Amino acid sequence: MAETDLKPVEEMTFEAALKELEQIVNRLERGEVPLAESIVIYERGDALKKHCDALLKQAEARVEKIRVGADGKPTGTEPLDDDTPF
Amino acid sequence: MPTLLVQDPIFTQHLVPPGHPERPDRIRAIEKALSAERFAGLTRRPAVATTAEVIATAHRESYVEEVAAASPDDASEIVQIEADTYLCAMSYEVALKAAGAACLAVDAVMGGEFANAFCAIRPPGHHAEGDRPMGFCLFNNAVIAARQAQRVHGAERVAIVDWDVHHGNGTQAIVWDDPSILYASTHQMPLYPGTGAPSETGCGNIVNVPLAAESGSPEFEAAFGERILPALNAFVPDLIIISAGFDAHWRDPLANINLSESDFAQATEQLMEVATRHAGGKIVSLLEGGYDLTGLSESAAAHVATLMTA
Repeated sequence: MAETDLKPVEEMTFEAALKELEQIVNRLERGEVPLAESIVIYERGDALKKHCDALLKQAEARVEKIRVGADGKPTGTEPLDDDTPF
Repeated sequence: MPTLLVQDPIFTQHLVPPGHPERPDRIRAIEKALSAERFAGLTRRPAVATTAEVIATAHRESYVEEVAAASPDDASEIVQIEADTYLCAMSYEVALKAAGAACLAVDAVMGGEFANAFCAIRPPGHHAEGDRPMGFCLFNNAVIAARQAQRVHGAERVAIVDWDVHHGNGTQAIVWDDPSILYASTHQMPLYPGTGAPSETGCGNIVNVPLAAESGSPEFEAAFGERILPALNAFVPDLIIISAGFDAHWRDPLANINLSESDFAQATEQLMEVATRHAGGKIVSLLEGGYDLTGLSESAAAHVATLMTA
C-alpha cells in the first residue's frame, strides 16, 4: 500500500472505509507490515475505524428520527443534523 | 550486592540507513543517561563476543552462517536482509557481542557476583525466530541468555518477561514447546508483528497479555498484576530475564501505549520481588526496542536505578 496515494478518510464511504480497515487488520494480523511502518498503518486503521463509527452513529440517528416520526406526528425523514441541540 | 551494567561502544557500530528508528544514537542516549552521578555505583563491563555454537542454542546452525555470509565486505555498505533489518560489515560481530553481553550477564548473576544486570545492547533480539531475522533483530538474545543459564549454570526454569510494546514473536516461536522456559509478554495489539493473542499458549509456557491502543498505567498495571506476576509465581523461575523494550513509553513514535518512566520502575520493582521470592533475586535485563531517545533513556535510567536498589 503506498501511503501517499491514500484517500482522505473523511471523504470515504462507509463501505470503502470498512473494506480498507479490514485489509489493514488482515495485514497486521499476518505480520506483513514492516515494524518501522506499522504505526503509520495502525493510525490509518484507527482513523478509518473512527470514521466508520461516526457514519454508523449518523445512520442510527436517522433510523431513530424516522421511528419517532412514525410514532405520532410524522416529521419527515430528513437526516438528523448533528448540530441540532437535544 | 551491586548491579552490573554491560555497555560497549561496539553497539554503536551496527549501522542502518538514515532515518531508521533502530539507530546507534539509542545506545549513546542510554549511556549518557547512565553516566549521571546516581549511577556511580554500577559495575561496568564491556561485552565479550559469543560464538556461533552458542547462538545455535536458539537458532538453526545454518541460519547463523547465513547471517555471517550476508554481511557486506565493504565498510561503507549496508544491505537489507528483511523488510526492517539491515547488515553492515560490522553487524555480525556486533550481534555476537550483543548475545555475548547477555551471556556474560547471565554468568555474572548466576555465579552470584551480582544481584542483577542490565545490558545496553543492540541489535535487539525478540523478533528473531529460529531461522530468520525480523523487525531489526538478528539473534534472539533473550533465549540465548535463558539457555546459557540452563546449559552452563544448571538453571531448571527460566522466565522471560517481555514488556517491549511489540510482541516477541521470535522468542515465543523458539520456546513454543519448551516447558523449561516461560515467556510472558505485554504488548500493543493489533500491531506489529501480529502475533501475541492470549490464545497462543505454547505448551502452557506462554502468557500473552495484549493491550489496546491508548492503554496507559492502569491497564499495564492490571496486566502485570493480574496476569504476568501470578504466572511467574506459579512457574517458580530460577532466573528472570527481562526483554526490556521501552517503546510503550508515551513519547515513542512506533506505538500508542502511554507509559512513563515510573511505570517501568514499578514493573521492575515487582519483578525484583518475584525474583527475591523464587530466584535469589536474579534478574538479567536486556535492551530490546524504544525509539524516542528521551523516552528511551529516561525509562532505561528509571529501570536501572530500580535494579540498583537490590
